[in-house]
Formats: sequence, structure tokens, C-alpha cells
Amino acid sequence: MSTPLSFNDERPGTREEPYAYAHNAPPRRSNGGGGGGGGGMKVALLVVLLASLAGLVFSMTSTSDFIEHLDRQVHSIHCSLLPGARAEVGESGCRTVMMSPYSSVLRTTMWGGIPIALLSVGVFAYLIMRSLSLLLSKSTTRKQTLFLLVATALPSAMSIIFGSIAMNKLGAACTMCIGIYVSSAIATVAAIVAHASAPPSDGHSTLGLWARWFGEGCVYVFTLVFFYVIFAPSSPKSAEGCGTLVQKDDPAGIFITMSKGADVAGLAVLDPLCPACKGFDERIRTSGIDQKVALQTVLFPLDSTCNWMVKESLHPGACAVSEAMLCDKDGALDVLDWAFANQERLRTTAKTDEAAVRAEIEKTFPKVKGCLGTAGIKNKVNKSLRFAVANALPLLTPQLFIGDRRVCDEDTDLGLEFTVDKMLAAQPGAASAGRHR
Amino acid sequence: MSSEPIRNLVLFVACLVVPMGMVVSSERAAAARLSEAGDAASEVPIASAAEEGYCSVQLKQILRRVAGACGLLGEGGRGCKPADAKNVASMSGEDFNALFSPLASRAHIVQFDAEQTALDPKASAEVEQVWAEKGGASFFFVVSRASKDGGADYNTELSQQRAQAVMGHLQTKFPEDDDLKRVGLLWLGADYAQLGENFCEWKRSRTGEPCTAKDINRSSFMAWIDCAI
Repeated sequence: MSTPLSFNDERPGTREEPYAYAHNAPPRRSNGGGGGGGGGMKVALLVVLLASLAGLVFSMTSTSDFIEHLDRQVHSIHCSLLPGARAEVGESGCRTVMMSPYSSVLRTTMWGGIPIALLSVGVFAYLIMRSLSLLLSKSTTRKQTLFLLVATALPSAMSIIFGSIAMNKLGAACTMCIGIYVSSAIATVAAIVAHASAPPSDGHSTLGLWARWFGEGCVYVFTLVFFYVIFAPSSPKSAEGCGTLVQKDDPAGIFITMSKGADVAGLAVLDPLCPACKGFDERIRTSGIDQKVALQTVLFPLDSTCNWMVKESLHPGACAVSEAMLCDKDGALDVLDWAFANQERLRTTAKTDEAAVRAEIEKTFPKVKGCLGTAGIKNKVNKSLRFAVANALPLLTPQLFIGDRRVCDEDTDLGLEFTVDKMLAAQPGAASAGRHR
Repeated sequence: MSSEPIRNLVLFVACLVVPMGMVVSSERAAAARLSEAGDAASEVPIASAAEEGYCSVQLKQILRRVAGACGLLGEGGRGCKPADAKNVASMSGEDFNALFSPLASRAHIVQFDAEQTALDPKASAEVEQVWAEKGGASFFFVVSRASKDGGADYNTELSQQRAQAVMGHLQTKFPEDDDLKRVGLLWLGADYAQLGENFCEWKRSRTGEPCTAKDINRSSFMAWIDCAI
């Protein structure tokens, strides 16, 4: 068997691969199909190859979707296992997973980080190469198929880890990821079959060969990562921000505390029934930004019931939820979590019957009874909206301010951790906090 | 020389170069789009005060004159006398009232008993309700009147006290509210821009009770003005 790192190691008599035929001894078992494994092994290797090919297609699609977002714009995401299915623009499990902090690593080092799917591309590309190489080889034995088995176990193990994260932490299923999980599992099962069907090796040490093959796998992954980092687009806007707060004070008492303790103050502009805000809130929490920044929120419901700036309600019921949050500021985060968890249902109900949403809020949070719907609390929601007017905020949610600098909208999803880190580093408070550590 | 090493080398390179090429070309495309893209936020509308369709140039001009004369646009005193309102509006009482016609859905009228200036519970609730409906309006107008019973000076005094009663209730109920600076009071007595009986159909604190021209003029007319003046 040859490798690009050692082209002659399969010649008869090579130390690492002293095949039976090289020593003029007859193979211990011959199932046809050349000097190597039997027909069963070849079929199994073919299945490994096809499963790896499928895994590569899913990983590449997922990586392409991720890369497309490096232009800091909103794009559709492929979310179907059907070949040629169109990408989707709206909210989906695929978008939730991709925008989550688990979709990439080193997110504070580079904008968006390095997508896990890219590493998966490297692994599957390598598995294609390795399985095809074994398939075409005339002298495949168990020591080669065992390596393949171990190699295919890697994406399977990662599938178990990321599948459980998706289920337990994100509560969202990514169809492309499921495709990768299934491909990995099939490849592993087929590799087991191939290994079981392969002719036994002669018992010589396999460490040298395995080390080289492992090195090749690393070359695949690191080359892809290297080129990804080199060609990743960057923008100075990420660190500079997009505007500043003109009016920072809160004389009307409309800010709601989300986290405290950190030196640098942050302000999130949220709509409790906006799907993007739900994802944003999850990213803030899972990335630990709420621990780095003393975060407060100001409500900006995009619901025409109270917001004159929207002619048609984008998020019906958001005014009622906002009132509830301002009625009980100590319990506001509980209301927010509940609203995030029931967003779709609340929006649908409020579209035809806002009073039903108000009744449900009062039933779930009895403390707000007697406050919800009063002139005083409506006035507070109005003050929140007027805060947006006073600061000439764009008519969208979510928005984030670090200190008084506004994080650009395009940096509030994939690039959030990187951008916040850069903006925090530029804050005087963060610098002094850093010195104390 | 065996062809297998060459074949494996080709395989190694091909399997690496194909996905790498796809990754690099996707990134270069993203970089090109990023450099072409302008400021995304600039395409998004900016939060602003309300500006309704009825805010014609002519209406805003008159509102600005009235608001300026009544101290709403500067740091001067609040409220203006009937003669002032008449002068700055430079129009007949009917035309003055017509200005407020588009506000039918926004305006509320709180009614008073004859010769009384105190808000009854329904009137207080009406004041609070209309205050909560401020939306994105820039100014809150309170225009108080009296019926034609009694002398001109007495009616002017009476209507002034009715306007002050509304203001006083707002100050009591919403003492910390910055928007109190947006309130403009006009007291017209009974000699200018009397309301016709048709205003009985508007939202008023005594809905369901009999309503004559005298009844509807013993009142304070309140409305948030959705014009950025």
C-alpha cells in the first residue's frame, strides 16, 4: 500500500508491509478480488466510499452555507436531505444550529470562527481518499481496514457529541447535520464489515503505517483550515461598531437588568416575540457575553398595537409581553424566557385575539395582574419606544450596544463573540479589569 | 515503476484540492460581496416620531404657530389665551375645529358639570386613557371651553380652570413623566371655536348620557398630535 508521504512502502519487502506475496508465500485466505480482501470486503469498502461521499456533500453544503454568511448578510440555508432542494431563508433548525456557538470553534479569534463542518469536510475527503485507495489496492489486509475503521469512528463519535448538543442544549435539529451523522454511522458500520471480511495481516508492526496515514488525515484537515483562515474576509467595521448611543440615561426606569457584575455596560434592544432575538439571547448566554458585560435590555416591540413605527405588526402580542416585563422587572427574565419558549404560539394567538395573550400572561405570572394594560405601564412601553426614537435606532431587533457603541447588525450572529471581544478590548473599563486579573 | 504510488498520489491531491478549491472560491465570493455591500443599517428605517397622513403642510404650519404661541416649542410659559389662539390660527372658529377633524380616532372629550372645573371619576379615567395612547405623537393638546351661559370673562376663567384640571391630574398621576413638557393648554372660553353637537359622537367621558351643544362645550378636548412639527 502506498501513501503520498512514502511512495515506495508497498513494494514487496517493505518493512511496514511485508505482504505474504512479497515473501513468495501463498495468501492465508483467498476470496478472489485480487491479492487482497474478498468480495465482501470490496463491497463494504465501496459502501464506506459512498457514505463518505455523502458525508462530504452534506459537510460541504453546510460549510458553503456558513461561508456565504461571511459577507455579513442574510442568506438562505440548505435544510433538506433531498438533492437539489432549495435553500430556505426563514427560521429553521438548520439556522438555529448554524448561528449557535457550537457551529464553529475559535469564535473570538476570527469572525465566525472555524466551522465544525469544515473539519468534517477534511475528514470525509480523507475517508474518500483512503477507502478508494484501499478499494483499488490489490493487497488490503486487516491492518489497513482497522485504520479505516478507527478513522470512520471519529466522525461517528463527533456525531454523537454534536447530536446530543443539538438535542439537549439547542433543542433544534439540523437536517444537514443529520445527513452527516447518518453518513458517519453507515461508514463506520461498513468499515466494521470490511475489517471483518479482510484477510488477516502478517502480524508485523503497523504503527509506522498508521502514523503516516494519521499524518495524512491531519494534512487534510489543517490544509483546509489554513486556506480557510487565509481567505476569510474581514471588515474593520466589526471593531469600530455602527453608531453610538446619544441618550444613555434611563430616567423613566425602562431598562431591565439581564446580568451584572462586569465593568463594561451593555444594552440589548429586544423584542420578546422576535425569533432572531430568541437566537440572539441564546448566543449571548451560551457564549458567556452576559458574564463579560453588565447587560441591560430595552424593549422595542415591533407590534403596531403600541408601536406607531410599524404599520403592520411584525410580532403581534409583543406589546403585551413587554408590558408584563416592565410590570415585574425582577421577574422580567422569567417572562422573557417564557415568551421565547412560546413565541410562535403567542404570535399566532395575538394575531386574532390579543386579549387571550394578556389573559395567559396574567395566569402564568400572577404578579402582573392589575398592572398589565394600565395607562401607567403602557406609558412605560411608550417610553421604551421613545428611547429608540431619541437614539435614532434602526427599526429592527435585536441590537446590541457595548458601552455606548452599537454592534453592527451584521455582527450580531456568527461574528458576535469576535466583535464583542474586540469592542470590549477597546473599552477603558475592560482594560482596567484585565489588569486586575 | 508501479502505477499504484502515482495513483495514490493523484488520489491524495485530488481529494484534498477539490474541497479546498470549493472552500476558497466560496470565501472569495463572500469577500467580494462584503466589499461591495454598503451599510446594511442605512437601508433600514430609523425610529422616528409619528407623522400621519393628515399632517399636511398647511396643518403643520398652523399647529406650529399655535404650539409656538402657547409655549410648547420653547422654554416659555405653557398655555395661551383665546385671543392668542385666534390670532395665531388666523381663521374662523369653524376652520379651527375642522383642523382637529382628522383626530376623531385619537381625541377624547372630558365633560364637566355646569360651572364646575373638577374632573369626575369617568373624566379622570378618560384623561389617563388618552395619555396612555400617546404613540409617537409630538404634542398633547388640551383645548378647554365653556358653554355660552355666563359672561365672557367668567367663561374664560372657567375654561382655563378646566384645562388646568386636566394638567393637574396628569401631573398627579404621572409626576415623573418627561412628556408633561409636551402638553399645550388652550382655553377658549365661549367666544371662539365652539363645538357643534356633532362632537357628541366623538369619544367622551359621558358616553351614553344626553349631549347638547352646551354639554359638549363644558369640556376639555384632548388629543395627541401625530405630526412632527
